[in-house]
Amino acid sequence: MSNPRINAPIKDIRSRTNRKRLLPFECRQAKVSYTGKFEADVCFQYDGRPVIREKYNLGQFPIMLKSKLCYLRSADPQQLVSLKEEASEVGGYFILNGIERVFRCLIMPKQNYPMSMTRGSYRERREGYTDKAVVIRCVREYQSSLTDHSSVTVRLYYLRNGSARVGFWVRGREYLLPVGIVLKALVETTDREIYENLTCYYDEKYEKVKGAVGSQLLGERAKIILDEVRDASLFTQDDCLQHIGEHFQPVVDELENKTPYTVAHAVLKDYVFVHLPNFHDKFSLLIFMLQKLFSFVDQTSALDNPDSLQNQDILLPGHLITIYLKEKLEEWLRKAKSLIQDELAKNNTFNFLAVGDVRKVMDKNSSVSISTAVESMLRSGRLATQTGLDLQQRAGYTVQAERLNYLRFLSFFRAVHRGASFAGGRTTSVRKLLPESWGFLCPVHTPDGEPCGLLNHMTCSCRVTSYFDSQGAVKDFFDIRKSILGVLTSLGMIASLPKLVHAGPPKSLSVLLDGRVIGSLPSSKIEKVVAHLRRLKVSATSAIPDDMEVGYVPLSIGGAYPGLYISTYPSRFIRPVRNISIPCEEGQDIELIGPFEQVFMEIKCPDGGNGGRSDAFPATHEEIHPTNMISVVANLTPWSDHNQSPRNMYQCQMAKQTMAFSLQSLCFRADQKIYHLQTPQTPIVRTGAYTKYSIDEHPTGTNAIVAVLAYTGYDMEDAMILNKSSVDRGMFHGQIYQTETIDLSDEGSKSDRSHRRFRRSNTDRSSHSLIDSDGLPYVGQIIQPNEPYCSIYNDITNSSKAKYRKGSEPAIVDYVAVDTKSKNHLQKVNIRFRHPRNPIIGDKFSSRHGQKGVCSQLWPDIDMPFSGVTGMRPDLIINPHAFPSRMTIAMLLESLAAKGGSLNGNFVDATPFASTVRAANAGEANSESESLVDELGKMLKSNGFNHHGVEVLYSGVYGTELTCEIFIGPVYYQRLRHMVSDKFQVRSTGPVDQITRQPIKGRKRGGGIRFGEMERDSMLAHGAAYLLHDRLHTCSDYHIADICSICGSILTTHFQPQRRIVRDIGGLPPVKAPKKVVCHACQTSKGIETVAMPYVFRYLAAELAAMNIKMTLHLNDGA
Amino acid sequence: MESVSYQRFPKIKIREMKDDYLKFELRETDASVANALRRVMIAEVPTIAIDLVEIEVNSSVLNDEFIAHRLGLIPLTSERAMEMRFSRDCDACDGDGQCEYCSVEFHLRAKCVTDQTLDVTSKDLYSSDHAVIPVDFSDPSDPNEPSDNTETQRGVIIVKLRRGQELRLRAIARKGIGKDHAKWSPAATVTFMYEPEIHINEDLMETLTLEEKLSWIESSPTRVFDIDKVTQQVVVVDPEAYTYDDEVIKKAEAMGKRGLIDIRAKEDSFIFTVESTGAVKASQLFLNAIEILKQKLDAVRLSDDTVEADDQFGELGVHMRGG
Repeated sequence: MSNPRINAPIKDIRSRTNRKRLLPFECRQAKVSYTGKFEADVCFQYDGRPVIREKYNLGQFPIMLKSKLCYLRSADPQQLVSLKEEASEVGGYFILNGIERVFRCLIMPKQNYPMSMTRGSYRERREGYTDKAVVIRCVREYQSSLTDHSSVTVRLYYLRNGSARVGFWVRGREYLLPVGIVLKALVETTDREIYENLTCYYDEKYEKVKGAVGSQLLGERAKIILDEVRDASLFTQDDCLQHIGEHFQPVVDELENKTPYTVAHAVLKDYVFVHLPNFHDKFSLLIFMLQKLFSFVDQTSALDNPDSLQNQDILLPGHLITIYLKEKLEEWLRKAKSLIQDELAKNNTFNFLAVGDVRKVMDKNSSVSISTAVESMLRSGRLATQTGLDLQQRAGYTVQAERLNYLRFLSFFRAVHRGASFAGGRTTSVRKLLPESWGFLCPVHTPDGEPCGLLNHMTCSCRVTSYFDSQGAVKDFFDIRKSILGVLTSLGMIASLPKLVHAGPPKSLSVLLDGRVIGSLPSSKIEKVVAHLRRLKVSATSAIPDDMEVGYVPLSIGGAYPGLYISTYPSRFIRPVRNISIPCEEGQDIELIGPFEQVFMEIKCPDGGNGGRSDAFPATHEEIHPTNMISVVANLTPWSDHNQSPRNMYQCQMAKQTMAFSLQSLCFRADQKIYHLQTPQTPIVRTGAYTKYSIDEHPTGTNAIVAVLAYTGYDMEDAMILNKSSVDRGMFHGQIYQTETIDLSDEGSKSDRSHRRFRRSNTDRSSHSLIDSDGLPYVGQIIQPNEPYCSIYNDITNSSKAKYRKGSEPAIVDYVAVDTKSKNHLQKVNIRFRHPRNPIIGDKFSSRHGQKGVCSQLWPDIDMPFSGVTGMRPDLIINPHAFPSRMTIAMLLESLAAKGGSLNGNFVDATPFASTVRAANAGEANSESESLVDELGKMLKSNGFNHHGVEVLYSGVYGTELTCEIFIGPVYYQRLRHMVSDKFQVRSTGPVDQITRQPIKGRKRGGGIRFGEMERDSMLAHGAAYLLHDRLHTCSDYHIADICSICGSILTTHFQPQRRIVRDIGGLPPVKAPKKVVCHACQTSKGIETVAMPYVFRYLAAELAAMNIKMTLHLNDGA
Repeated sequence: MESVSYQRFPKIKIREMKDDYLKFELRETDASVANALRRVMIAEVPTIAIDLVEIEVNSSVLNDEFIAHRLGLIPLTSERAMEMRFSRDCDACDGDGQCEYCSVEFHLRAKCVTDQTLDVTSKDLYSSDHAVIPVDFSDPSDPNEPSDNTETQRGVIIVKLRRGQELRLRAIARKGIGKDHAKWSPAATVTFMYEPEIHINEDLMETLTLEEKLSWIESSPTRVFDIDKVTQQVVVVDPEAYTYDDEVIKKAEAMGKRGLIDIRAKEDSFIFTVESTGAVKASQLFLNAIEILKQKLDAVRLSDDTVEADDQFGELGVHMRGG
């Protein structure tokens, strides 16, 4: 296969004449996918005859917005607006069936880095295994800059007898090979060489010295490993390859009829250390891993924590799509091959060289399905794969990018999930906030509850490395590695050559570059080398990339396994810090560091003092700003450093459920549901992030005048009182937009699809006030529940069917969008309804400090307390009890600052940690700066207000002074999307279940709320028997049953239809015929009694009867 | 039984009066009367505001309710409001609220045909009654304001239109009170404060040094006290600037001079500040408030006098019972 290409999205593939651009907004409205045609040439070759090229259409491939093929790629904000997008559109998501889906980034084990692990499950692999292993997740080499990025995990297990096994997965099964065989198979070598390579790390001289990793057991183990090979009578490389080949021949089906030698070669190439093409490199890495394993077993080096960010990478959308596409293509080609082979075998007339014949066979194997598979993967987030692709989960790779508000939308692109496999687990260690994630993952921005600690968000400064460098050019990894190698050798690295035995720690340290052992450095020189590398990293002129990670693990006693691990590969986390060890005149001093190296670096933070550093280890780096450690959303909390930390977490949650100014391109959207705040404001008290991320484009709340007092009792328990007049004037007004898409080609049977169109009925004039002659509603029309809003006419049956509005509240038709694609008549319509959502009792609001509350009253303005000086009445009253236990001091500060700011007519900067940064900049001498409160108090005092922010208020009801001075000032309040109108559930009577005759459940269907067992218990405890009877019986499935007391059955009784014998008495209503109930079994109506019982009881009797169990009732009068 | 008369004769002294601003003293009465006046001014003096909007064409970016809400909040000149009828008890139009006694009709037609954004403002509202028009906020007395410049004198912006967008509607303004909806409230702010009585204990004050006096004066966020440059005595310059924040008292206590100052609120003397939205002149607003208050009191009195207590509760009775 060659020459693959994806075309830009175009409209309507069927009509070839008009090739119009398909724009993202059209996809959203028409509920189609934003895809481009994917084509490739397939090359056929048979028995060495010439290659036939044939172009194949591989379907419509999803295109990411703002990617190279997207029309929005190079559009500036103005052009974006003219393309009916947001001016600040960022792209990075897909549109599939009109829904925006975004890839959920996953945490993966660090690639190409051998990690020591302990797992109980390793012991169960086979007899003799321990729980210890060294694991490496190898990702295919990027020699050419574009590779598929697929990964294969190799495990090196430690056995109780001192040997080790290499384990890797082929076709969903793990294969375990003795390490000696693999070593010998990889390289033409001798036992002596292997022995020396393994034992070189042990030197009696260095025993018990800091950093020594070898122990005297190494020799023993090496002997065992070699003995194993000898016992299997495999002596040479060929013997080993033969052994492996025979073993794998039946497993790898493409290689079935190849020689064992080729099979073994292929297995070693494709499954063992796939990131290294060179077998010598594989050999050295295996030796290195063995040494790490033995040192881990001997406890001279510590366990690597797989939950720590130090040992983690990220899975990016491009990488997953590539490996998924690769698998689908391979599958398709394999199937195509077998189809042709079958055809060749079956059909003698089949001419392989005739394109038409081949095409015919190939058509059986739908080529379009390849893109469909990718699209459905992105649409559902599910991988349909047999091999598993070395990934831990099958589902949950994409999520819908909800545009509830800008912050929520933005968070989808910053979210990193730990993996679905951890979500169900009982262990909580994965959720733990580890110090290694400092600066990369936000400690504040994680949901509380079920996904807590698993769904993290990147900090505002954190980035991920890619194939592109900072200039946007594709990186050439081969060149990069060569220059790194050059620099290292010039600095005194002994390059690793085949069969060259290196000394081990503590004398010298191994150097690994992207998982390749490239040599060793004497430990005396290494510090200098690292410093030099860092300098080269920062300098713009060197060939060393600025995002290279210099993971220097120093010598330690029983710490992490030492070495110099240099990484250049994509999908690593990086973040900028200031390098203060290099002279500043070299231009830039911003260095990009990764989580692996960060652990061993000395970075000081203005807020942390010297961080307990001794003079021997001065800080070499410095944080640019302390707020770099928190995410964008967390950065929007003013003075979050003054809040109790969980409150900041709550705010991150609530910011994302705020009803806000969600979209500027609102009129071009057809989302299922859009929440929109009518009168948003920009906060007076704002952090630096507000300007930096232009949050003012999508503001999320209102500056409300908040008084903190206990007033009227309606503000107890986090309730809050809103001023009715403020609400009248438009505070927190909003609406919900809800779109109904009606596609005539989707519904109904196929036969009458073509005969259906939008038209209103001419006969039924009742709906004419609501529906226009085109069968669609008038824009601006109010539609009450159960009124029709559109009418579909069927040409054949000559009848029209209306669609009715569900729910219990009126809606306003906001707009009607029609699909003009089809020529004859309309097929698809979007009708958008608008539901007014002005604040009412029960709606939820919150400040920016995790202080949420429910509106309990819309209180008349005149009854609100007022200030004698300014005459101001608060917009909102909250209870002072909201503060002591929650300690949201920043909210009080915000109130003070906003008051001062509004008096002076300027915004107040509330960036957290500002004081410490200022103190650090001012130097130690001037550290006695004023406290923030004093500063704000001064501002108030200069404007004639009390410097604590309190004011004397007068009761609105009595006009007398309130006994206390009241804390009052503007606080930025958000309206949360949870609103009573969407949630209230009430019923007196209503629909019942068919079988049990009990009230049904579900708010949508007019059901009730379950009066459950625990509620029943409390009723019993109160002795409220009558109420209990009322709830559970009278109001539920009350039923009067006729029971035959003779046979005790309730199922055999039935009404006997009675002929009316009663004569009509003139003028009087006919007398009701006496009910006659007869028992079928007893053939009499003598013993019939009526008993009140729950209807389910009768149902139970019927069910039991169906199982041949008879239920007999004994009736008595109960005395 | 001889009834004791509690009747008092409140006095009013007007300090400052502008069209939309009034400051006066109210003396010889108590907080109940002062607060009643405040409450009536805010919530019960009737004005006229747009209440019903019929939208013919709206292709602007704002939705119908949004525009209707904005229209409602535009203050209309409401001198007529006291004489007008509430549409709910207007007998001329059977309560549909569209007759000349209880409603005023407005029309708005705007379409943008140029590339420049068109501001649709309250000036574009055409009233059927020349006495009820959107309030003109231009200040002719202000010489800084270029009165003939129409660009700056366009009134309250309702919506902005771009090329091709159109807004056409009919609106009906009705009489109402601020209690029902804030748009009918004629008062932007009504507030009163108790007049303070400030007594400085001169003997104790003399024990302070000049610096102490200054710092004591500084402790008040508002300028209530000052120092006489000649005698170096503390004098009260503006007692009404005092906000009852007790800062000076706390300061005196902190200085160990308890009783340095004694500040009391006069129970029977209030300083009112009334700011009008422009719908009614501030002075008229106050007079209307007294009128309404009188009507309410009449209703109460009548209810005592009449034996039949049924038909007495007219419209005011509803208010009395807190309707």
